[in-house]
Amino acid sequence: MALHRLSLRLRQTVAQVRPLHGSGCGQQQEAVGMEMRPETFSIFRTQENDPACQSEQHLGQYYTVPPSHFHTVFPHGLPPRYQQQVKSFNEGCVMVRQPALELISHLKRADYSKPTLRYLLYGVKGSGKTMSLCHAVHYCSKQGWLVLHIPDAHLWVKNCKELLPSSYHASRFDQPIQASNWLRNFRTTNEHFLSKIKLRQRYVWTKRESTEEGRPLGELVDMGVSRVKSSSDVVGAVLKELRLQAGGTEGGFRLAVAVDGVNGLWGRTTLKKEDKSPVAPEELTLVHNLRKMINNDWEGFDSMDPFIPVPVSLYSEKEFESCYLYYLDRHWLQHPHSQTEEGKKELIFLSNRNPSVLERLCAFL
Amino acid sequence: MAASVTGLLKPWTPRVLLVRWSRYNPYYLEPEPRKEVYHIPETELTPEQKEERELKSVRPIKAATNSVTSSVFNDPVLSKFVNMMMKDGDKIIAKGIITQTLENMKRKQVEKYHKAPEGKKAEIECNPYTIFHHALENCKPVIGLASIQKGGKFYQVPIPLTDNRRRFLAMKWMITECRDNKHRRTLMYEKLSQELLAAFSKEGNVVKRKHELHKMAESNRAYAHYRWW
Repeated sequence: MALHRLSLRLRQTVAQVRPLHGSGCGQQQEAVGMEMRPETFSIFRTQENDPACQSEQHLGQYYTVPPSHFHTVFPHGLPPRYQQQVKSFNEGCVMVRQPALELISHLKRADYSKPTLRYLLYGVKGSGKTMSLCHAVHYCSKQGWLVLHIPDAHLWVKNCKELLPSSYHASRFDQPIQASNWLRNFRTTNEHFLSKIKLRQRYVWTKRESTEEGRPLGELVDMGVSRVKSSSDVVGAVLKELRLQAGGTEGGFRLAVAVDGVNGLWGRTTLKKEDKSPVAPEELTLVHNLRKMINNDWEGFDSMDPFIPVPVSLYSEKEFESCYLYYLDRHWLQHPHSQTEEGKKELIFLSNRNPSVLERLCAFL
Repeated sequence: MAASVTGLLKPWTPRVLLVRWSRYNPYYLEPEPRKEVYHIPETELTPEQKEERELKSVRPIKAATNSVTSSVFNDPVLSKFVNMMMKDGDKIIAKGIITQTLENMKRKQVEKYHKAPEGKKAEIECNPYTIFHHALENCKPVIGLASIQKGGKFYQVPIPLTDNRRRFLAMKWMITECRDNKHRRTLMYEKLSQELLAAFSKEGNVVKRKHELHKMAESNRAYAHYRWW
């Protein structure tokens, strides 16, 4: 299968946008050129903290995510080493890079009356795909869209301690812990939407519990978080509702689906049934429902076709300079030799300008 | 080397064989890994250096070991520490633990630095390498004890220590302390970073052990004349 071969070589991330009449992005106006004055300390920083107003002139510069937004926009989804870095530096700075800008410009200019558009971020290991995805997610949430961010699809297909047989469908398996965690994070990100969206259908969970039509989505999510056993089915219900309603005309909102590590949905799982036979990804409720969100009736590439590929490359010279200066500014490069030209050349040589390798090298220098 | 030696073993060869000598002929010269030495232009060489260069062009040179690099970040004291921490020849794990330790120390200090008020920022030391070196200095004992036999009894006699011995004792104490006195669930790098930071501010169990050794030596001053070297 084409996607299998690709997934063995590359790790992929996808962002998908549902069309709707929604409030368009009003902030397309060009930002004031902040770098008119030669400020020596901010050659690698920009004051433009709104992703909608960032353009090519901000390429290679770091913008700060305001601390108040940080935990609401990114409860999950950031790489773990980046989260440690945010804690150490006491601020969350993201570099404006070409792939993220390209993705955001596509999102701005797309025609939302046509069928859904899918974008695929691809690149070598450690080139910055997850960070570009998070940048795009920040843009979407700033614009007021409903963001469905799955932090890592691989977490759903491996290392699951509990695998319950699904009550809804005999041959499928539930993952209560993963589903309830995700619902909790989903609730943090999209607080303001939960009371606005009403359910279109009645859902029956057990003989005594059911959620009626017309109740707000927040109630469904709360139920999923508290009743861990049926949380996977709640996730399926939430996805179905969003799919139905994002295409509606009244009370319009835009839906962005961002899945990190999307090849995990089509590869093999490491989970086993009780008779030690391997579980196929279709047999997991979460994966099954998520695939429907990415619009498929077929397998592999066909469910993603047509998509817009966005390549994520290693750091360019300008971006490397910017990263180096940022680390110097935050007192991260402490070794006296790392601050010389020799040390810098050695860093370029050792890391080959790979963002994650550079980060790991600078961590102990 | 070991394979060929085992093939030549005979019943009359001693059971213990020293196979970790440096078996190079003294004719071979040591390699020079530092880059600066090769960048000095011809005109600025002193006569000794010129002679050395002539010699190196005719004599054979020993192979460099895997642990020396021409990198600017090479630190001989740190390499020695890594080798002492290594078990069963697994340098990758030992080096990994040390890098995680340095990173951990730096993270703690940088976090403190960024949260500190302006006046206190200059006092916080963020460089993990300086912290490591200073901590090791603070753990080095000044005077040691040797067990000397006099008249049938063994006495603990205070003796001066060489620099190498002091460095070895400091590193050994640090490693044994971190291996033994930690909770089962604490990882080595976490415990090591805590101990190094404590030793940097002259607290902690390793510095306490050094002080105890000094006290023992002080209390056994009377036997100092039993030392004959």
